[in-house]
Amino acid sequence: MKEEKNILKWFNNELSEKEVEDLKQSEDFDTLKKIAHYSSFMQAPKIDVEQALLDFKNKHAVKKEVKVRKLNFQTIYRVAAIVILMLSVSYFVFFNNNVSINTDLAQTKTFSLPDESEVILNAASTLHYNKKKWKTSRDLELDGEAFFKVSKGQKFTVHTDVGSVQVLGTQFNVKERDNYFEVQCYEGLVGVTYNNTKVKLSKGKTFRIINGDIKEIEDFNKLSPSWIDSESSFTEVPLSQVIQELERQYQIKITIDNDVDTAKLFTGTFTHNDKNIALQSVTVPLKLSYEIDRNNVTFYNYDGTK
Amino acid sequence: MNEEKPKLCKETYFNAFYLEHAQSASNFAFYKCGDKMSALDLVQEAFTKIWENCSKIDFNKAKTYLFTTVNNLFLNTVKHNKVVMEYAKTVPYVDTNNQNPEYLLEEEEFKQKLQKAISILTDVQREVFLLNRIEGKKYREIAEMLDISQKAVEKRMSGALKILREKIENI
Repeated sequence: MKEEKNILKWFNNELSEKEVEDLKQSEDFDTLKKIAHYSSFMQAPKIDVEQALLDFKNKHAVKKEVKVRKLNFQTIYRVAAIVILMLSVSYFVFFNNNVSINTDLAQTKTFSLPDESEVILNAASTLHYNKKKWKTSRDLELDGEAFFKVSKGQKFTVHTDVGSVQVLGTQFNVKERDNYFEVQCYEGLVGVTYNNTKVKLSKGKTFRIINGDIKEIEDFNKLSPSWIDSESSFTEVPLSQVIQELERQYQIKITIDNDVDTAKLFTGTFTHNDKNIALQSVTVPLKLSYEIDRNNVTFYNYDGTK
Repeated sequence: MNEEKPKLCKETYFNAFYLEHAQSASNFAFYKCGDKMSALDLVQEAFTKIWENCSKIDFNKAKTYLFTTVNNLFLNTVKHNKVVMEYAKTVPYVDTNNQNPEYLLEEEEFKQKLQKAISILTDVQREVFLLNRIEGKKYREIAEMLDISQKAVEKRMSGALKILREKIENI
């Protein structure tokens, strides 16, 4: 064993001279020496490394140009953005649950809500509601005037810029115009929220706010608002509001002489069917007169000279 | 620091690496397969692997990677020739002063026996033996090259010597 180790060492040039002398005593040292000597004169075929490198390069010249292209995340983001955009657009196009109903000047619309509550929308008004959420919350947004016949069920809320109206099942009219907010209850009980104050209206009661002031209004005794029967009736309403209503119902532009007091209160009714009768029914009680020039109407104080 | 390290992907480094090691890799391949063309093919293929993976290979480990790859590629190829090593053109005899024809004949005979005996060795024994003898590599260097332990190298060497002695005396 020891001899074998020494032989290994000897082949590795790690043996001291003395140890080599010892090793020489072994019987087949001569053979070993010859093996060591002659084997070191063997050789593997020489290769032309320069040529081999050239061959190598030629072989890989084509491959080298195939560069690994990094995933371009910018492109991915772009594609993702487009896909998301398309999905959301199609969602809004095909699954749009927001219903919006408009009326133009001199136009009213009658329609049913998903729970068969009835809405009559007066001229120049807009109503929004969400079809999908309707079952859980009956919420509407109103800009203008509308009459509601609410079928019994969950809380029914009409939101306006000024205040909101909540009911359970009843009939009521909401009118929200510039500087004017009016809720009239025709049946049941209506809750009105205005500036954190809650007012409850029973049948025949009116809640009216003009220029931010709450007005006391006498009880009325009608089953539905007059505008549904193509009439507009007013009880102690400033002339300016009446004029606006006239403009809405007849598609006209009314100008007022400087000496006419638009804050004057008007109580009365005008029809939606005849412009002249309507204008007369507003102007005569207030001692006013008017002139018509196509769609322009001018109001002035009647002094009896014309 | 990292950037200063030579990178194999850079063509100049790769070329230098190739020129430096192509011959020894070819020798190594030849000790195994015994055919010049196959040896060169193995070497080229190994360099291809290195070139393709240049970014992943540590420059300091590249040499070991080269030989291990040649080794693996060799194991994958079925073709296996008998390895007959050639002698250099002029081989001095052990006893350079002895010109006795009988002695010369004896030595030539020994050389042939050795050639035959080497071709009988197993691949692993032969590669270790020839790396040690022809290239003068220490066992430690061979171990590093083949990515095996020095003990394993010594075991192979010892096995090789045992077979060689037996065969030469019997032939």
